[in-house]
Amino acid sequence: MKQRALLSTMLTALVTTGLLAGCAAAPKPTQGGKEPTVANVRNQVVNLYSARNYAVDERLYAQFTKQTGIRVNVLKGNAEELIERLKREGQSSPADLFVTVDGGVLNNAREHGVLQPLASTAIEQNVPWRFRDKENYWVGLATRARVIAYAKARVRPDQLTTYEDLASERWQGKVLVRSSTSLYNQSLVASLIQVDGEQAATAWAQGIVRNMSRKPEGGDRDQVRAIAAGAGDVALIDTYYYGQMLHARDQEEVKAAQQVGIIFPNQQTTGTHVDISGVGLTKAAKNKANAIKLIEFLTAPDAQALLAQENCEFPVNLKAAQPGLLKSWGAFKAQPIDFAQLGADNKKALEILTTAQWQ
Amino acid sequence: MLLRDVKKHTNAWMLISLLGAAVILLPLALIPLSLFHAPNENWAHIKQYLLKGYLLNSLWLVLWTGAGTVITATGLAWLVAAHDFPLRGFFRWALLLPLTVPPYIAAYTYANMFSYTGIVQKSLRSAFGITPSPKWFGIMSLRGAILIFTLFLFPYLYLMIRSFVERQSAAYVENARVLGLGPWAIFFQVILPLARPAIVAGLALVAFEVLSDYGVTSYYGVATISTAIFQTWFGMYDVESAIRLAALLMVGVVSLLVVERIVRGNRRYSSSTTQSRPYVLRPLRGIHAVGAVLVCGVIFAFSFLIPFLQLLVWATWTYADVLNAAFGQMLFRTLYLTLVATAAIMLLATIVANVHRTADNALSYALSRSVTAGFSVPGAIVAIGVLAFFIGLDHLLAPLYARLGLGESPLVLSMSLTMLLVAYVVRFMATGYSAVEAGFARVGTNYTEVARTLGYGMTRSFFRVDLPLMRGAIVSGTILTFVEIVKELPLGLLLRPFNFETLAMQAYAYANDEMIQQAAVPSLLIIGISMAGVYVLHHLGEEASS
Repeated sequence: MKQRALLSTMLTALVTTGLLAGCAAAPKPTQGGKEPTVANVRNQVVNLYSARNYAVDERLYAQFTKQTGIRVNVLKGNAEELIERLKREGQSSPADLFVTVDGGVLNNAREHGVLQPLASTAIEQNVPWRFRDKENYWVGLATRARVIAYAKARVRPDQLTTYEDLASERWQGKVLVRSSTSLYNQSLVASLIQVDGEQAATAWAQGIVRNMSRKPEGGDRDQVRAIAAGAGDVALIDTYYYGQMLHARDQEEVKAAQQVGIIFPNQQTTGTHVDISGVGLTKAAKNKANAIKLIEFLTAPDAQALLAQENCEFPVNLKAAQPGLLKSWGAFKAQPIDFAQLGADNKKALEILTTAQWQ
Repeated sequence: MLLRDVKKHTNAWMLISLLGAAVILLPLALIPLSLFHAPNENWAHIKQYLLKGYLLNSLWLVLWTGAGTVITATGLAWLVAAHDFPLRGFFRWALLLPLTVPPYIAAYTYANMFSYTGIVQKSLRSAFGITPSPKWFGIMSLRGAILIFTLFLFPYLYLMIRSFVERQSAAYVENARVLGLGPWAIFFQVILPLARPAIVAGLALVAFEVLSDYGVTSYYGVATISTAIFQTWFGMYDVESAIRLAALLMVGVVSLLVVERIVRGNRRYSSSTTQSRPYVLRPLRGIHAVGAVLVCGVIFAFSFLIPFLQLLVWATWTYADVLNAAFGQMLFRTLYLTLVATAAIMLLATIVANVHRTADNALSYALSRSVTAGFSVPGAIVAIGVLAFFIGLDHLLAPLYARLGLGESPLVLSMSLTMLLVAYVVRFMATGYSAVEAGFARVGTNYTEVARTLGYGMTRSFFRVDLPLMRGAIVSGTILTFVEIVKELPLGLLLRPFNFETLAMQAYAYANDEMIQQAAVPSLLIIGISMAGVYVLHHLGEEASS
């Protein structure tokens, strides 16, 4: 009998711990959407589901809390998983804002009905229309360019000027690029569908696969290292990672990056592809006013300048100061595309990539 | 007759086991149920382009990793358990340490070490002026992935086989020695066949781990069935088809295990001799001793020491940028979450396994197999099931919440840690359960039956008879589960509450952003916690067997 008592005690203890754990950690982040006044400002919150995971974001949120007294709760995760969570939570969701890195994903969130349009003249002044959804279902925060990296020792930068050049026979066995599982590659192909048409995008993907110097592996930084090591001559990379490498603490990384130059492709033609980070107001938002205030803060020149400085991302607010590195790359022409269409074309892009056996 | 049968099996054990199974199976049910929906328009493309080659890669990965881990683990277990050589005591537990390193961190670390800017090429350049061909260091490939998985997953098998050899095989081995068999013959003709349940249990865990991995394979550019699942979800925005793919994977894996069980048939592997008979170690001398130390040393170096030291070096470069006040909290949360979840899993695993063993019928077998199914598919898919289950539960409880003044239709459970804890139980039941089940298979039912004949109830005989015999197996299961949860990622990523971060999440955030040097600090803390866990549990296990 004693043992039975022990068993049941153990079980009770277990269940209780579980429940206590749950209740203790259950945050109460949802507040009514009252306008903050001096009296209730202390309890004001804004709840974020964010797929961006950068130290600079945390710093900006902390600054926002300091300025306004509004606390920022963040739940981080992968973009698609967060959309799935928002979808399943429906109107009960505690999230006010959804933040992520890719235009296609932002549009996908809109398509899945988890966002709502927002209205704010400050935001419209901060962010030019081409970095926003037409109906303001989402607003851009920063961009990165997908550029061509080349070996300074073996390639003259005038030998290639476009994405299309990379697929030409001249670069057979010389092209380095990461896997098609990367959202950045999917987005690039989706954008090529828009500017060149589906057929040309298909031919392009096939050309790249033919020209690959090795099977896709690693991330963007690995492509830069591979150029330095001589595994290939040209690569497709994001400016964000290149900038991070140039600023790295590890001198070997800096040296490797210095052997590599970048070209902003298609300047005379369709423009360079940019990935956009953005934020949208969720349909279930309960702290709408605070949420809009946070977006206004994040798109204001000061926050934008910090973002550019710390994260090597291009600001969407043109009034923001740009750090030296970004300035040294110069102004460039970006693809004049509709980011919303990127999401719609992503599936087609992936089909093109997998059909071309871009692993 | 039937009534008596029902009555005989209806006790607290059965009830708890059914309840636990329900908690595990309800969230999991979503996955196989997807097979009954008609496939959507994407399915044709997925079948044509994302299934064939990807499935083949998965198969190769599982086969080669399986072969690699079985060879490494059985060899080492046999060496360490039955022979005496210098440093044996150290290697005996140190060979468990690779388990503490998350495979994706190991993958990033090795890739970085062998990259152009890594220590290997850098040293070759600066010391010898050699710029090696990039082809020499092609670790980011299918072969590389197999190597990483073998190096960092073999301890699953090693732990199970070693505890089997040490506890169970003494009599057989001594008889074989008396009959004049050499050590190799004993290994192949006695140990391997007898260790089959332990090998299968460990191998199943390795296969599960490899099949559900996305971190190592996606970084190394190896397109596997997980790649297909995530391409479908993240690229085609098609969750339904992704779940469908996972369902196929799950059904495939579970049926494979059932087939093995049927082939194994009624062969019994339990031993009816006295337990824990001290092993007479065969001393190795001269060249053999050197060889043994070398084999253990090289494997230990590659599967733990080298990546560990590299992480340590990186940590000294980056700790100033990375380490902040939040780390204390992260450390505490990781520990707390892991301990509670591990305790829950081991308790439930023991209960379900004990019920399964005493009520050996088809239903209990099906139950016991399906509670481990959560380990066979990518964690993110399990997470969707758990999420759906808890949001449903919250909606169900809405009237109660309203009464408690929590607002209209709030999310209480699904915004709390309870959801994550249950998710851990759903997913990692397999690690705990496999160890306990293998333990029960070894112990057999003879002693229990005697105890029951002498009038002990199920509970009493469990505590007085089975538990002391099972202690080693339970310790193994606890170690495996503990280290598994400390480094767990996908569930935490999708199911965490607001402002919640564990060490694994932090390490992943850096690694995923291609900042492996910054990931070194949280990774080392993960390894540290796991090492402490392994050390403590290892010594508990020692006490149990002495």
